[in-house]
Amino acid sequence: MTSILEWLQFVLAPQSINGLSIGVAVVLMALGLTIIFGLLDVINMAHGECYALGAYAVVIILGMGVSFWWALVLTPIIMGVMGYAMERGLIQRVFHSKDRHTLTLLLTFGMATVMEDAIKIVFGANPRSVEAPVTGATELFGSFFPNYRLFVMLLGGAIIVSVWLLVFRTSIGAIVRAAAHDKDMSASLGIPVSRVYALTFAFGVALAGIAGVLLAPIYSVFPTMGRDFVLMAFSVVIIGGMGSIKGAVIAGLVLTQIQSISSLLISPVWNDTLLFGIMVIVLMWRPQGLFGKLGHA
Amino acid sequence: MLDRFNSSTSKPNAVRLLAIVFFVTALMFAIIGTVMGDSFYVRLATEALIFGGLALSVDLLLGHVGLLPLGQALFFGLGAYVSALVLKEWAASFWLAIIVSMLFCAFAGLVGGLIAIRSKGVYFALISFGLAQVFSKVIYNTRELGASDGMTGVPVVTVIPGLQTDNPLGFFIVTWLVIGGIYLGLRYIMQTPMGRLFGAIRVNEHRVCFLGFDAWRFKITAFVAAAVVAGLSGALYPMLRGFVSPELMFFQVSGNAIVNVIVGGSGTLIGALYGAGLLTMLKSILGSFTVHHHIVIGLLFVVVVIAFPRGIVGYLVPVLEARLSKKKPGEH
Amino acid sequence: MSQSSNQDTVLSVQGLGVSFGALKAVHDLSFDAKRGNVTAIIGPNGAGKSTAFNLISGAIVPKTGQVKFEGQVVTGFSPDKMLSAGLSRSFQITNLFFDLTVHENLRLAGQYLEHGQGWWAPVQRSQAALARTDELLKQFGLAYKSNELAGYLSHGEQRRLEIAVALASKPSMILLDEPTQGMSHADTQETAELIASLARDFGLSVLLVEHDVDLVMRVSDHVVVMAQGIKIADGSPQEVRANPDVQTAYFGDKH
Repeated sequence: MTSILEWLQFVLAPQSINGLSIGVAVVLMALGLTIIFGLLDVINMAHGECYALGAYAVVIILGMGVSFWWALVLTPIIMGVMGYAMERGLIQRVFHSKDRHTLTLLLTFGMATVMEDAIKIVFGANPRSVEAPVTGATELFGSFFPNYRLFVMLLGGAIIVSVWLLVFRTSIGAIVRAAAHDKDMSASLGIPVSRVYALTFAFGVALAGIAGVLLAPIYSVFPTMGRDFVLMAFSVVIIGGMGSIKGAVIAGLVLTQIQSISSLLISPVWNDTLLFGIMVIVLMWRPQGLFGKLGHA
Repeated sequence: MLDRFNSSTSKPNAVRLLAIVFFVTALMFAIIGTVMGDSFYVRLATEALIFGGLALSVDLLLGHVGLLPLGQALFFGLGAYVSALVLKEWAASFWLAIIVSMLFCAFAGLVGGLIAIRSKGVYFALISFGLAQVFSKVIYNTRELGASDGMTGVPVVTVIPGLQTDNPLGFFIVTWLVIGGIYLGLRYIMQTPMGRLFGAIRVNEHRVCFLGFDAWRFKITAFVAAAVVAGLSGALYPMLRGFVSPELMFFQVSGNAIVNVIVGGSGTLIGALYGAGLLTMLKSILGSFTVHHHIVIGLLFVVVVIAFPRGIVGYLVPVLEARLSKKKPGEH
Repeated sequence: MSQSSNQDTVLSVQGLGVSFGALKAVHDLSFDAKRGNVTAIIGPNGAGKSTAFNLISGAIVPKTGQVKFEGQVVTGFSPDKMLSAGLSRSFQITNLFFDLTVHENLRLAGQYLEHGQGWWAPVQRSQAALARTDELLKQFGLAYKSNELAGYLSHGEQRRLEIAVALASKPSMILLDEPTQGMSHADTQETAELIASLARDFGLSVLLVEHDVDLVMRVSDHVVVMAQGIKIADGSPQEVRANPDVQTAYFGDKH
């Protein structure tokens, strides 16, 4: 009897709480993806690379002797600028074509390839490690948790809440949701739709960058980290419902929990398979994902 | 993305010409290479053709049905592994390896298609991607299949008496015939009502159902056909190189195939082969200058998607057609 | 355009209804369309005609009621099953294969007439489909545009092609969704004559939804009037025109 409780307290709970720290970053990635899809109807195949760039930004900034906290502030800005340029300079060029969906997929796929190769050229293929800015551990419920992970959960959670507030409680958010709902109508109301698109893309990409910053001290930083992680992010978005913020948050948290707990029971090799299997089953049962599109909470 | 070829009234003389040019040039390239005693380039050309087959399978889906397969290397790799296994463990028979690979990939294609082809097209690309990721990881971690090192020691086999797979020119010709056969087969299919319906699905899937056809069934058929084509091409790989590795299923391979198709010209079939051939050559040339040739090709791809979405063949064909119709004023 | 009493019913709509949230878009719609007749559904804006059309064609699954075609229940059937039953439809917003030629549009639709080996032989051998294509090109006056991409046709020509494509499979009944939408006056007259001749000369049953009341009155044998989701009149054009409820629905009480 006691051993089950002990297992719960000392094995499951820590695993679950650690999973939350990953979950928060996954949710940030998924939010970025789903917001981009919800408004621009674009599947950003380069999202993983944006996440990777966020992590590499930390590497550069720390390498310059600047503190991690600056990385946390600067990276989203850098990624945002880059995202704005990518959208305005590249994606908008194919936006008005008839084959828009295929072309944007191909384009972002091409961008992903270029970004990954650029990372390899500039940083080399070897993994880098980043030191956590917050060290030590705190005791909770009888186990020790790295302070950094707790920090990630808190900060990540705060960012997620801010995003939700921004989208649903501010006028900027209302403009974005209006443009998502009816582009032509919004344009005729005087909303600068192409600027809104570029800013939204920038925002989504910045979120991916933040996720990269947060996870850099936890996972090592290597050129293909984006591609490995993006399947997770896409699975979350698809299961949650493409364009749904609520879906991204819930699916992100639930799936990372499933992943953490299952890694206790099965070999981590099967992680991807498990996730993919869940995605396929959800798609078969409910093709639109668990929740609706952008515009509803 | 070029639909002139789907019209029943166009005479694809230009396409035929480009196809002839491709196959003749490839053959001459291999013969010259053999005469000059350099088997490296002959083998490289054979490999280009093999990956050209994968590109053809991508073009079938992307350029004709309108599905973007981000993980088509899955079937290529499966074909390669099955072929290697047959040759090593069952019987060193060329024909057996080929046939078993094709059957296996047909079955895998059916299963994969049932999962990947759902009502909302946007998911296809991601499911295709996911399937390849998952299976390549599984094989990467399966010791019986050689894990990350793959399987080596694939034996040399006799294709027909007197012709063995370790003969560079001989195997090139075998590959040339197989890929040529695939090309002609796909060309033929596109001239049948079923093939035309693939194109119709790409142009306006919604209306196809109202014409009385179940679009889903056609998409599955195309997916299985593409899987068989990819698997058949993959089956030739271990015969050429003597080994297989999980990298054959990695995203890099799928991605390259897509680049080949887009640069060569999607929807033209021969464009896929031109893309594979030209990019292999480009990589080889660039590779002698710098190790970072990938990024050059990535940038080229982005430029093509934005500025030249119809690809090389896509732009050449109208130009050639105009030239050809000037030369023969009596014809259409 | 006479309505003979010994015509049989080809399409029977019974108690059809659907709600979108609190709005009863269509409520308890029932009428019979007779074979070889042109039956029209008309009504002022917001009457629910388009919804009714979509309920009948299966695009929206009805909450209540059923649709019987040739005695067979076809309620909510998928498009390809509808076509097998003999019911074809056209679209209000032109839904052609714009990147393909006119000829190819029709041939694809006509391919439905081929069976068996037709699928494995090159297209040039699909005799039934090619013959049907030539027939339709002539009938709809599109032969001179045969090699033109459908997307380059004028609006009127596209609307004609839209109907032709729906007819290619030789259905017994065709549902036309605002066939003259956006057409010029001349085109509208031509299309009206075409629709009338479909029924008169080819024995096709036609159900159409239209805004153009004059067109409907000239062309139809049977008119169903809807307002605010319910049927308010059902009869010959003359009967309907004289019906005071119809006049109120269109022109308000001041008439």
